[in-house]
Amino acid sequence: MKKHLSFRLSGILISSALFSSALVSSALLSTSVAAAPAEQDWQALNNTLVQQHILPRYQQLQSSSETLAAQSASLCQSFSPAQLEITREAYHQTMSAWQALQHIQFGPIQNLMRNFSMQFWPDKKNLIGKQVAVLLKEQKPETLDTEYMFQASIGVKGLPAMERLLFADQAENTLANNSYACRLNSTIATYIELNAQGTVSEWQDFATEISNAGDGESYYESHQEAAVDMMKAMVEPIEVIRDLKLLRPLGKGDKLRPKRLESWRSLRSLENLQINISTLHDIYSGGENRVKAMLENQGDTALAEELDTLFKDADRQLAEIPGPLYTTLTEGQTAAQLIQLSDTLKVLHIGLLTAMQKLDVQLGFNSRDGD
Amino acid sequence: MTGIKRRQFCQLVAGALVLPGLAHGSTTGKHPMFASAARSQDGSYHLYLLSETGEVLLDHPLPERAHHTEAHPQRPLLACVARRPGTFIDIIDYRQQRLVKRITADSGRHFFGHGIFSEDGRYLICTENNLADGQGRVVFRDTEQDFRIIADYPSHGIGPHELQQQPGSNTLVIANGGILTHPDQGRKKLNLDTMQPSLVRMDMADGRLLEQQFMPAELHQLSIRHIDTNRAGETVIALQYQGGAEDNPPLVAVHRPDSSLKLLAAPAPVDIAMKRYCGSARFDRTGRYAAVSAPRGDLITFWDLQQDQFHSTLRSRDGCGLAATDQDAEFLISAGTGRCMSYNLAKGRKTRLPSEIKPAWDNHMAFLNG
Repeated sequence: MKKHLSFRLSGILISSALFSSALVSSALLSTSVAAAPAEQDWQALNNTLVQQHILPRYQQLQSSSETLAAQSASLCQSFSPAQLEITREAYHQTMSAWQALQHIQFGPIQNLMRNFSMQFWPDKKNLIGKQVAVLLKEQKPETLDTEYMFQASIGVKGLPAMERLLFADQAENTLANNSYACRLNSTIATYIELNAQGTVSEWQDFATEISNAGDGESYYESHQEAAVDMMKAMVEPIEVIRDLKLLRPLGKGDKLRPKRLESWRSLRSLENLQINISTLHDIYSGGENRVKAMLENQGDTALAEELDTLFKDADRQLAEIPGPLYTTLTEGQTAAQLIQLSDTLKVLHIGLLTAMQKLDVQLGFNSRDGD
Repeated sequence: MTGIKRRQFCQLVAGALVLPGLAHGSTTGKHPMFASAARSQDGSYHLYLLSETGEVLLDHPLPERAHHTEAHPQRPLLACVARRPGTFIDIIDYRQQRLVKRITADSGRHFFGHGIFSEDGRYLICTENNLADGQGRVVFRDTEQDFRIIADYPSHGIGPHELQQQPGSNTLVIANGGILTHPDQGRKKLNLDTMQPSLVRMDMADGRLLEQQFMPAELHQLSIRHIDTNRAGETVIALQYQGGAEDNPPLVAVHRPDSSLKLLAAPAPVDIAMKRYCGSARFDRTGRYAAVSAPRGDLITFWDLQQDQFHSTLRSRDGCGLAATDQDAEFLISAGTGRCMSYNLAKGRKTRLPSEIKPAWDNHMAFLNG
């Protein structure tokens, strides 16, 4: 078994030109498996993560989006450059809250495509640009009704659409005088607030589903099954961040592409990454009863420590990169630093997959790699 | 022969040879129930045959990941087809616990993961990729001539995937997924902008094209990959959408001979929850109800094709493999989590199937009926 897995992992490494297997320590590849964690261990992990990690972050999203909606309304009522700055700051707070929740792809955020409604990204076909342009051109009054937003395409009702309005080159002109653009921005903000409210209120019930896992009535058949969703939220984003937020803007070696950075208009691409990594790190070891402790309880102390070090490495590497990435990407050593970070994330991802095997967690088979 | 449960196997043989009357009952507990490829917990790939009471009656190690498993209609044979772009099909005699034949694709060819036995049991029929021109092929091998190729027809499309013989007819139905791939580039999709999926009906006697229906142009990225047919000639189609996450197209369709494809929408929240991806489709025994799995949404959807409408859903985490049982409106469901269940749609009754192993069950399963 050990041989087989090592072979597979080094196969992955060899396939990446960036790597030599020497980068991956034996602890990250070792596959001896102790007894899997018990249901009560998973229950403790789930409850800790729901109470300490998930619910506070959704509450933060709700309160920041409430402020954003209020400030956006004020912007239309009495425009001033100062109020524009206040509204932009409220946008930043909301986007920060969302970046700390982007990894949660289960539960109420999935209902009615709320996750895509909050932020559709990457927008490879410039759907958002085209759809927002149509709205701005036609200026139909009914599109300023919140009800319209519930039916509207995901391109026009999320944080990226707001970013286009609030951070437009001529925003001081286009948003002044209670303009259509300003009111559209305000309508979207209200929709985002409702979206966050709905998610928070449905999480009250969903948290009960999680704590009652395995009782025959719950959405989850066991605490372990609920924990699989939690573990997916920690492991899978590492790969997504690497592929979409780092490697896409880095291009294929030919050309750097700053406009492929997430949130480049609001110049917060680097901050998003910092929030993402520290959020995932929090699931891993941000308190008692987290994943790191479970690995240690399994006797996998070397792996447990090494993963923590990798998270810290990623945090540190991010801290050393100058921002904003939209302008620094093409300067100095930034691209090399991002490649180094993507290497760290690759090793971290492999190590986390090993950890999942140690904990006897199957992240998905047909759903991840079907045909 | 690794993994044989010899004692159980002997009981199985004894049951079959000596007490045929009991072979259908559950008194022996060793009646085969379903076969499926899977990934075991150590990461290796196997074909398993499980009994009604969950014992492993066959554990056949596979060289690589497989996809579809088909049970021979008369003999104790299983055909297990490599996942695309694989090049093997293992033919296993589960009574003798023996690999009868490992078929290897001809040079310049690979399999697409699906193969069936003809209703009379004579032929093994598979979809293949002809690498030279990227065109799909439908290849007949003779079970009575050591699986020698006796016919090789065009599938009339790119990327043929599942195929079915319409019960009680000489008609093959073939899903041309439309997606061009080449083994040199792994599983990479090479023609998403121009893909043109189609459903083909073919005369088995001579490979003649009887009918071909394409997806409407605006939905050309809805890949037709998994299908099932019933005695009435209806085909239920499980679709996979290759377009963007901003779209939410219908994911199930039905075809009736000589008419265009009819897309079936579920209520919007269900369509959204299916996440643009279906994994398998099966009619129940009666041919009225169909199950379509959506493993990315952890859902199985059910459809009433007498009325062409959505019926209901059942939650099944990572559930994909489906099979009709010998009961009306009843299906088996297998999942990547290792769980299997039977679900009776009419009674709304869900029953966990016992199993002494818990591998990640692969996309498709075969129900064994005797």
